[in-house]
Amino acid sequence: MTTTPPMTLRQVVLILLGLAVLTVLPLMLSPSLVNAAIKMLIAALFALAFSLAMGQAGMLSFGHSAYYGLGAFAALHLMKAAEEHVLTWPTPLVPLVGAAVGLLAGIVFGWFATQRTGVYFAMVTLALAELLFTLAPTWNSLFGGESGISTMRMPSWAFSFGNDTHVYYLTLAWVALSAWCLWAFTGTPMGRLAVAMRENEHRLRFLGFNTHLARTLVFAISAMFTGIAGALLAIANEASNYTIFSAQASANVVLQTFIGGAGTFFGPALGAMVMTFFARVTSDLTRSWLLYQGLIFVLVMLFVPDGIGGLVSMHARRLNGGAIKHLVLPYLLCVAIGLLIIAGVVFTVESVYVLLSDAYLAQRRAAGGGVVPYQLFKWKFDPLSPLTWSFSVVPLFIGGALLPFAKRRTELAWSRALDEGER
Amino acid sequence: MSRAGEPVLELRNLHKSFGETPIIRGVTLVVRRGQRHGLIGPNGAGKSTLFNLISGQFAPTSGDILLNGRSIAGVPPYLINRRGLSRSFQITNLFPRMSVAENLRIAVMGHQGHRFTLFRPVANLRRVSSRVDEHLEKLRLQLRRNDMAGDLAYSEQRALEIGMALATDPEIVLLDEPTAGMSRDESAYVVELIRAVTEGKTLLVVEHDMSVVFDLCDHTSVLVYGQILASGAPETVRADRRVQEAYLGEEAA
Repeated sequence: MTTTPPMTLRQVVLILLGLAVLTVLPLMLSPSLVNAAIKMLIAALFALAFSLAMGQAGMLSFGHSAYYGLGAFAALHLMKAAEEHVLTWPTPLVPLVGAAVGLLAGIVFGWFATQRTGVYFAMVTLALAELLFTLAPTWNSLFGGESGISTMRMPSWAFSFGNDTHVYYLTLAWVALSAWCLWAFTGTPMGRLAVAMRENEHRLRFLGFNTHLARTLVFAISAMFTGIAGALLAIANEASNYTIFSAQASANVVLQTFIGGAGTFFGPALGAMVMTFFARVTSDLTRSWLLYQGLIFVLVMLFVPDGIGGLVSMHARRLNGGAIKHLVLPYLLCVAIGLLIIAGVVFTVESVYVLLSDAYLAQRRAAGGGVVPYQLFKWKFDPLSPLTWSFSVVPLFIGGALLPFAKRRTELAWSRALDEGER
Repeated sequence: MSRAGEPVLELRNLHKSFGETPIIRGVTLVVRRGQRHGLIGPNGAGKSTLFNLISGQFAPTSGDILLNGRSIAGVPPYLINRRGLSRSFQITNLFPRMSVAENLRIAVMGHQGHRFTLFRPVANLRRVSSRVDEHLEKLRLQLRRNDMAGDLAYSEQRALEIGMALATDPEIVLLDEPTAGMSRDESAYVVELIRAVTEGKTLLVVEHDMSVVFDLCDHTSVLVYGQILASGAPETVRADRRVQEAYLGEEAA
């Protein structure tokens, strides 16, 4: 985390494998999943760029949506100009303008925000993003008012960009290139300086470093890559409006980074991809998906504070190949228990949601005020029947009762696996 | 190279007040090239404030600080450091979750002008790496080079703390209570280390432990209530009646 040894062969192979999978992926996915994959890649880049400021330099920005949005709008204006033949600019190079605008905004905003550290820094970044959020709906020429700006991708370089597959490869290329740059950054003097700033900014001032300038530059680099992510989003959606500047967008990348693991390099990207996919799937299925997202965040912070990335790197660091076999059964057990508990929680949440909904209350009124069965997952349930609530209680009870047992088994398996590693 | 014995650091009628409270009340002091200057004084005399003024943490209320004849009063710390004055801290002030070698590398990078270098990996900066190796050897921390600074033993952290101050290759080094909180053995080890690593440098040391000052320094100044009470060779200062009353008497009593 704090030193950057050269990549091991295993890491190089893993990364190449990952890239290969990402390259052939669209050939196997339905168009709607290709679209989801594009959004996941963009979210991954946003999170990587954000965590350059947050994870490495320790600058918790609550307003990164500002640079995301500015990158997107810059890209849209450029695409619009190309569409109206004001100038010619190949679509694949549109993210360059997102990078330029992100960098510029990062320098200007960053210069102010980095005057302060900690909570005050977070507040200033939040305020700057909110400023754009309130300004954008009324600023027609720049942000297209409340409806925003929409445009079309122009064909260029033998690509039509008429379907999501072309957009996917464009996105993948930019995300991979940016991720490589961000990774390489961690090994440069400035990247090391960023980590030192997180560790002890005060000391750096007495070692000849202008830390305000350093913080501004690191922040601006983070904003630059955020701008690229924003531009990629603009290319994918061909439209954007002021809501891209919302505090929720800023908060999202914070949550994703922490769920992914702010202490690892690739963790935030993983977190962003998982959570983007999760949001995509669950938001179609249930209206309480934000509640589940919140639950996941709380659980990760409580029980896996190092996030997904931390979990993965712990396994990679401490276990050698053969030792993993000890963990298969206990982990399967944990997954089974997890599914039981999830089933109980989901049934409870969804039932309560239906029972409190206006539609159900209307049904009750129509039936003369009495209690009527409610519909959930295509079945009918009687709210007063113990059988109904047993679907909540039984899985939760069994899961909860088995949890200590699974914990013991897992600990035992870990100690065995570690023993084997030492032998 | 400038001549030995000429002033490196000069404080001229320096004052510092926090609000209404005067802490430093007209300090005039000269530290000459090659001198090992000890600054002693009872608690609350203003020693730490004086160090913070010299190193740029605070700006003086009035008076002047000259480094090689140029004023550094009110200049930000990073510029003072680049002009050749470096300091260590009383409370260990490292990059705890970076390795020992990386701690030193940050300091060396700054000194060699690789502050914002973006397009070269740090591993390729050979001049930086070789300087880091030299410092590790001098500090006797070679075996600890890949350990996290936060995991070092206390005396090793103090050694690294001093090493960091020296890694920017200053003309004059300010050491703030380098042996604070140490056992007698540890203290003796660090004093010996300081003597070895500061060979040929000008030194200004704040110390509470009198034996350390008499062991390490060839010149002593006594600060009491924000003013210099006496200044001279350690033996002369120790014999001074006013000093004994104000400070040493305190311990003798």
